[in-house]
Amino acid sequence: MTKNEKKSLNQCLAEWKLFIYNPTTGEFLGRTAKSWGLILLFYLVFYGFLAALFSFTMWVMLQTLNDEVPKYRDQIPSPGLMVFPKPVTALEYTFSVSDPTSYAGYIADLKKFLKPYTLEEQKNLTTCPDGALFEQKGPVYVACQFPLLLLQACSGMSDPDFGYSKGKPCILVKMNRIIGLKPEGVPRIDCVLKNEDQTNITTYPHNGMIDLKYFPYYGKKLHVGYLQPLVAVQVTLAPSSAEKEVTVECKIDGSPNLKSQDDRDKFLGRVMFKITAHA
Amino acid sequence: MRQKRSEIYSVELSGTKDIVRTDQGDDKEKYRGLKNNCLERKKKNQEEDFQKELQLDDHKLNNRELEKKYGTNIIMGLSSTRAAELLARDGPNSLTPPKQTPEIVKFLKQMVGGFSILLWVGAFLCWIAYGIQYSSDKSASLNNVYLGSVLVLVVILTGVFAYYQEAKSTNIMSSFNKMIPQQALVIRDSEKKTIPAEQLVVGDIVEVKGGDQIPADIRVLSSQGCRVDNSSLTGESEPQPRSSEFTHENPLETKNICFYSTTCLEASTSPIGTVTGMVINTGDRTIIGHIASLASGVGNEKTPIAIEIEHFVHIVAGVAVSIGILFFIIAVSMKYRVLDSLIFLIGIIVANVPEGLLGTVTVTLSLTAKRMAKKNCLVKNLEAVETLGSTSIICSDKTGTLTQNRMTVAHLWFDNQIFVADTSEDHSNQVFDQSSSTWASLSKIITLCNRAEFKPGQENVPIMKKAVIGDASETALLKFSEVLLGDVMEIRKRNRKVVEIPFNSTNKFQLSIHETDDPHDKRFLMVMKGAPERILEKCSTIMINGEEHPLDKSTAKTFHTAYMELGGLGERVLGFCHLYLPADEFPETYSFDIDAMNFPTSNLCFVGLLSMIDPPRSTVPDAVTKCRSAGIKVIMVTGDHPITAKAIAKSVGIISANSETVEDIAHRLNIPVEQVNQRDAKAAIVTGMELKDMSLEQLDEILANYQEIVFARTSPQQKLIIVEGCQRQDAVVAVTGDGVNDSPALKKADIGIAMGIAGSDAAKNAADMVLLDDNFASIVTGVEEGRLIFDNLKKTIAYTLTKNIAELCPFLIYIIAGLPLPIGTITILFIDLGTDIIPSIALAYEKAESDIMNRKPRHKKKDRLVNKPLAVYSYLHIGLMQALGAFLVYFTVYAQEGFLPHTLINLRVEWENDNVNDLEDHYGQEWTRYQREYLEWTGYTAFFVGILVQQIADLIIRKTRRNSIFQQGLFRNKVIWVGIASQIIIGLILSYGLGSVTALNFTMLRAQYWFVAVPHAILIWVYDEVRKLFIRLYPGSWWDKNMYY
Repeated sequence: MTKNEKKSLNQCLAEWKLFIYNPTTGEFLGRTAKSWGLILLFYLVFYGFLAALFSFTMWVMLQTLNDEVPKYRDQIPSPGLMVFPKPVTALEYTFSVSDPTSYAGYIADLKKFLKPYTLEEQKNLTTCPDGALFEQKGPVYVACQFPLLLLQACSGMSDPDFGYSKGKPCILVKMNRIIGLKPEGVPRIDCVLKNEDQTNITTYPHNGMIDLKYFPYYGKKLHVGYLQPLVAVQVTLAPSSAEKEVTVECKIDGSPNLKSQDDRDKFLGRVMFKITAHA
Repeated sequence: MRQKRSEIYSVELSGTKDIVRTDQGDDKEKYRGLKNNCLERKKKNQEEDFQKELQLDDHKLNNRELEKKYGTNIIMGLSSTRAAELLARDGPNSLTPPKQTPEIVKFLKQMVGGFSILLWVGAFLCWIAYGIQYSSDKSASLNNVYLGSVLVLVVILTGVFAYYQEAKSTNIMSSFNKMIPQQALVIRDSEKKTIPAEQLVVGDIVEVKGGDQIPADIRVLSSQGCRVDNSSLTGESEPQPRSSEFTHENPLETKNICFYSTTCLEASTSPIGTVTGMVINTGDRTIIGHIASLASGVGNEKTPIAIEIEHFVHIVAGVAVSIGILFFIIAVSMKYRVLDSLIFLIGIIVANVPEGLLGTVTVTLSLTAKRMAKKNCLVKNLEAVETLGSTSIICSDKTGTLTQNRMTVAHLWFDNQIFVADTSEDHSNQVFDQSSSTWASLSKIITLCNRAEFKPGQENVPIMKKAVIGDASETALLKFSEVLLGDVMEIRKRNRKVVEIPFNSTNKFQLSIHETDDPHDKRFLMVMKGAPERILEKCSTIMINGEEHPLDKSTAKTFHTAYMELGGLGERVLGFCHLYLPADEFPETYSFDIDAMNFPTSNLCFVGLLSMIDPPRSTVPDAVTKCRSAGIKVIMVTGDHPITAKAIAKSVGIISANSETVEDIAHRLNIPVEQVNQRDAKAAIVTGMELKDMSLEQLDEILANYQEIVFARTSPQQKLIIVEGCQRQDAVVAVTGDGVNDSPALKKADIGIAMGIAGSDAAKNAADMVLLDDNFASIVTGVEEGRLIFDNLKKTIAYTLTKNIAELCPFLIYIIAGLPLPIGTITILFIDLGTDIIPSIALAYEKAESDIMNRKPRHKKKDRLVNKPLAVYSYLHIGLMQALGAFLVYFTVYAQEGFLPHTLINLRVEWENDNVNDLEDHYGQEWTRYQREYLEWTGYTAFFVGILVQQIADLIIRKTRRNSIFQQGLFRNKVIWVGIASQIIIGLILSYGLGSVTALNFTMLRAQYWFVAVPHAILIWVYDEVRKLFIRLYPGSWWDKNMYY
């Protein structure tokens, strides 16, 4: 009769206690010490075996890889564009011309990014012939120089503030590295203003040209010291009113095999960013 | 408390309503409803009402008192106005149909049952997550909204599917519910009128002709040769005579009450049986009404499979929720944002819930139901398909279920010998010696001294199926002789009947005088049949081997031995004798006068005895044996008399040949019953009267201690008590029955099985299963199918659960190690509801591994559908192997595209940052966010393919639990291969056909990635073969205990 009455809390607790440790059978959580030992031993062996097996299959899989070039490159047929300094939130640059602290972060970021492009860093690199793909056969691959001077006003050499203090901020645009990519035609970065007003826009090197000599890329391991070509965009904001907001869109142009129109990938061969300048 | 209960249960029909209060409450309670009667005041009031009404003493009143009580007049009837008043007061004379659950409630139940709640939670979490995202960032992606909607869609679709399946099986039954409107001949305003039976009220005077149904409970006022068939109410096969005399205290036994819905039989005697009576109860207040409401008051027990599925849902939901919450906490403490942690939680829930499984189970059950329907087992409630498999006790009604419900000649005694007649359904095999000339005489008497006739126009109907005008025993004799001698009517024509005296209860014999068919023999033949002792009294000679011998003491003794022996078999015995009237005393022109009895009725020649019984169906003994070997206890519960019950029980094997009851032992040892050691008896026969005085413990004791039990003279509620008693033994109880009196027990049973042809509507309504051909042997098929489906469901569930780990691990690794997400929620749904569905249904077609009919029924509490070894083996063994295999494919895809495994660790934040569009891989290449996302989808597809390939291996290993696949036969179950093909085809379509539909997150996968997981698949197969080998080699060992599910 007690069987069918609802278990009281005490009974419930007692049952749990008995389950956790049963003094009569010496069972702990429903198993005796010996049983626990056996089961743990079993799982130790079993999982040890599985781990070994998994490691082995992974090792076999890694043997199929080439250390220099990935096996497949089909998922990145065309490069994306990216801008520097790296904005904190969605591609937006906000600064105040009169307040150096507001853009100090951008300048530091640019300097850091341009570090590999300084003369000292580049002195071991080769000067390559302009205007043609620089194909190499190995086994030693050399990297071409990218003289910082090409970026002129945005090189940081003449203006350590990269124009931010004058209301002419510089943004660097870079094309993603893709191993073996050989651009056709005459690739250049073309930047336009979305909301056309009294601002104007300058790109360096002239016309945003990207020299073909920087292609193809042979991978991090082989192509030591490789520098990817850069294009600087300088937006000259009208010195007048209090607040300015401009949206700039840059895209690759002049090369039929570099895509810049993709419905889903907003960064494939193009990049859009916003600059907001306070007085 | 206990005392009280037995009191409640000991009342006869007058206490019917006491049991009505059963179980609307907590179904976990074992003594359901027996306890809480005193608690529910409302019910108690009801109870009192019923008791008052059932103080049925109308049978004791005389006509005057009756008139007074009901304010009516026996001659004039009620006035129409009074009748209308009463009709308004009492309501129509019809049974209130049992309350139906509204369709919408049924539908909504499907929407929240099982895993649905978990999925609803998942969906709402999705929407909440989107809401939070949207409030902080208006451009938040709609992915979560879609996922939420997909989850809701899944819930609704599976709900609609389950509802549809249920509705389909219910519809089959609704055809049984149609009732033909009935008419009644009533005297009102001194006029005879025909009105619909529904409009009858208490006090109405009705006239019922033979062949009609009794339209309400009536007190007989006058009767002419009326007999009623009470078999559906009491289980007695023989028609019961009705007259206006008060013969018994018990309203059920007394002769002057006819019950609603029983049939007044057609009698061959003229005038045809008619009865005039006063309506004393209408509608729900009739005895039948009480039984019907008793049945509808008994809540449907949850089927064992429903309990198992619930148990399984609890396990899985428990795992899902606890892992979900655990990782939610881990995620939060790992400094993930709460929103992200919430999304992880959704992923974990979706990965853990086998969305397709419940649908699969439904399909599997309906497939079996279909298969059983082909074998004439109609399953009303899908879940009942399995119940028969776990049945450990069958309580079977006798009349109409075990027996043919038709009197049949079983034995003959002539020439000092007992002959056995074939009692099978078609009588085809009559093997007893028919060469003796005594038989010739006996057969002549049987043929001639019989008033029953075949109804005309049945030339093409087999003899045994022909309709007959006449009472049960005459019918039996007619058919018996028709089979043995050919055209009985022709024989009767040749032996023209001169005169006859029909059977009546004072004479106890029937007599007729015929001309003989021998043209040279001018003598008249007088034939007589009747109660054996009366017949013997009239005889002075006995025919042995065709010759007349004087009837001396020793022959009289052999007669008595034979008579007792046949009577002891529970058979109704008739004696036969004849006399050739000497031609000189009775010339051809002699005019016989039955009133003056101007012919001799003594010094006749005794020819033989013949005994009749309602014989068991021929398939029953074999079925009972099979049930026995399957470990199922068969108990007979009947309303019929103990002697008959015992005889039938013995002949069908419910009481086996060598077992004895306490009474048998007492008889054999010649000692009083009290001195017999109860333990010596294997069988027990318990009557309703004994049951009445028993406490529940005593009943439990009987049920537990005796292997072979027969309950006789039981009332409907006693049947209910017996069923409940069996259920208290933790048994799964099947009840078979056909009568109204069985319906409460049918409903109370775990599975009620009604007879399709002989069964009453009430029985069919209360049952879960209907045997369309009334073949008890179908139950054995049902048991087999039920056991098979249980085994196969185990396999299906093991198969389905396995991949849940492979679906869950990615989320855990994603949270802990920060890898790009290996498999998306949508992809998981494609596995659960796409590739895995057909294979898991295919497992339902798997043949049994070993002879499932030779093992014991499963123990309700111990042999669970999903037990610990099953969960552990699926989750922690095969599931883990699968996860590893799938991860291998995933890592391969990433590594070959440039992201080596070590670069992936803790990459998650950068990987998923929309503003990082130059993420560098191992080789120095830079990826935009979308390129990474596409790679992630390729990873999903790879993981999906990894699981898919290993699920094929999983499907193959799940074909057996103990035997090697090669013992079972790899190709015997073709459907498995259809399943594998479907898996691959759906996988191919998803990857290559729909690879461009970005919303589905599938991409075109390189062909070779399909084979990466193959070694793991082979490993799964080999590992499982080893497991099974050890189980077979070392039964009962540690391995067996931990690894056999």
